[in-house]
Amino acid sequence: MTEQISAQNLCAGYGKPIVNDVCLRVRGGEIMTLIGPNGAGKSTVLKTLALELKKLGGKVSLCGLDADGIPPRERAKRLAVLLTDRPRVSLMTCREVVETGRYPYTGHFGKLSSEDKDAADRAIELVNIGDFADSDFLEISDGQRQRVMLARAICQEPRVLILDEPTSYLDIHHKIVFLETLRRLVDEKKIAAVISMHELDFAEKISDCAVGIKDGAVQFCGDSTDVFREDVIRNLFDLNEELYSRYFNKN
Amino acid sequence: MNKRCVFVLLMLTVLTAASLAVNLFAGSADISAREVLRGVFSGSGAAGDILWKIRIPRALAALLLGGALALSGYLLQTFFHNPIAGPFVLGVSSGAKLTVAAVMICAAGRFGQITSGAMIGAAFVGSMLSLGLILAVSQKVRGISMLVVCGVMIGYICSALTDFMVTFADEGDIVNLHSWSMGSFSGMSMDNVRAAAAAVIAGLICTMLLSKPIGAYRLGEAYAKSMGVRVKLLRAAIITLSGLLAACVTAFAGPVSFVGIAVPHIARVTLKTSKPAWLIPACFLGGGIFCMVCDMIARTIFSPTELSISTVTAIFGAPVVIAVMLRRRRGEV
Repeated sequence: MTEQISAQNLCAGYGKPIVNDVCLRVRGGEIMTLIGPNGAGKSTVLKTLALELKKLGGKVSLCGLDADGIPPRERAKRLAVLLTDRPRVSLMTCREVVETGRYPYTGHFGKLSSEDKDAADRAIELVNIGDFADSDFLEISDGQRQRVMLARAICQEPRVLILDEPTSYLDIHHKIVFLETLRRLVDEKKIAAVISMHELDFAEKISDCAVGIKDGAVQFCGDSTDVFREDVIRNLFDLNEELYSRYFNKN
Repeated sequence: MNKRCVFVLLMLTVLTAASLAVNLFAGSADISAREVLRGVFSGSGAAGDILWKIRIPRALAALLLGGALALSGYLLQTFFHNPIAGPFVLGVSSGAKLTVAAVMICAAGRFGQITSGAMIGAAFVGSMLSLGLILAVSQKVRGISMLVVCGVMIGYICSALTDFMVTFADEGDIVNLHSWSMGSFSGMSMDNVRAAAAAVIAGLICTMLLSKPIGAYRLGEAYAKSMGVRVKLLRAAIITLSGLLAACVTAFAGPVSFVGIAVPHIARVTLKTSKPAWLIPACFLGGGIFCMVCDMIARTIFSPTELSISTVTAIFGAPVVIAVMLRRRRGEV
């Protein structure tokens, strides 16, 4: 499988560095989760990978190209995002929100061709939001809204998906539905996904590899079987043996 | 195709034509309908003079400048992601008023008549200064209410300075200045209309050309950027256009209140969409109709005494603004 996104010695932060020396690479069909305590800089790294935030050093490659050299529109055809801030849109149906994903493909006036409409229909079907596709975006639940935003990202037909805490405020049912959908999309479309998550149990189930971030640096990066182990997790989140076993050990 | 939007736009076009016509027939001078028609087409005689020198330029100015005002409000609302923003409440109109008054008073004595272009230029400088100040404030404060309070304060300061200058100006310099500084479409010449039309229609076309990125901007800056919108460029373009449109209005008609907030809101509610490609023309036509009707009321209701245009727009516009705020509290907008 080919590498879709990678970072070499990436330094991320707002003006001054928050996380230094990040190295990672994600191939098509793989999900990488970023885990770590609050304020460790997971979102900062994600925003920098998505070129939302100007990087302070190092290099980001997108589909084998230096990401800095890709014009915004071309970049948008390769990389789509799902952010933590919920868009405050009024008078837009879910379908219209999904269709905004066609932005990099439409002409100067943004008129949707039949191809664009098909792409939106396919995205709606894939994420299974057809039941409420024509409802107002503000009138659906948080869980449904997050799936609409996933469909919007898919509609952009990216090679790389970046998701910042996509499941944080969803109930268990919607968390599972969302993650199952994501896994299926990544497998079918061979997308490379980078996600930040706080729910370790779900992260373990869904990811192929994981990166631990703490104290301004990457603590570890590896296959999820090597990462989601008691000693590693306890270390990352500063938990002693008693606390950890009280909450994580089933017996 | 969205049938509702097509229908609403057609209705707006019809209403625009109707309001224009009504404005030609109504006025303080008693002219019969037949004479009005003859006057419009021949352009001669007393009726022709009144129509081509007074009523037609005035009606066209109300149409163009009303449209510009609504569009300026729409752009500011897009920029701040908030339906309460508008050129009047944010102090943009008052800033333009201040610079226009300054130029009028300083230049009138020395250089004689000021050209329409110079008036627009002066107003543009003033509106951009106010916008710059508001943008600086918006970096510091969170939430629209503080921003509006600051805008209103900027408006008061600019108005106070304008009044100060008007008080101490020579009598000869301020013919019309007083009624202009209260807001009025009166005294418009065909030359003024031509200059206003050039600037406003250019602004309208540029805004239409931006409808695609504005559509993406609805989801917020971060998403817009991720879709490939050059956000900084777009923000600069939105601010410049709204400043230019508000400046045109102030240069010719003085500050006109509430149109910039009320009309885009009515347009959104009627069209039931937030798609810029529909909203931009609807705001423009809606603003034109709103101002033509308000101007007709202003000049005919207590004829021959004229009300200032803001007196009328406020009576119809302010309740709409209150409605917007109440709906926002309920989380509907």
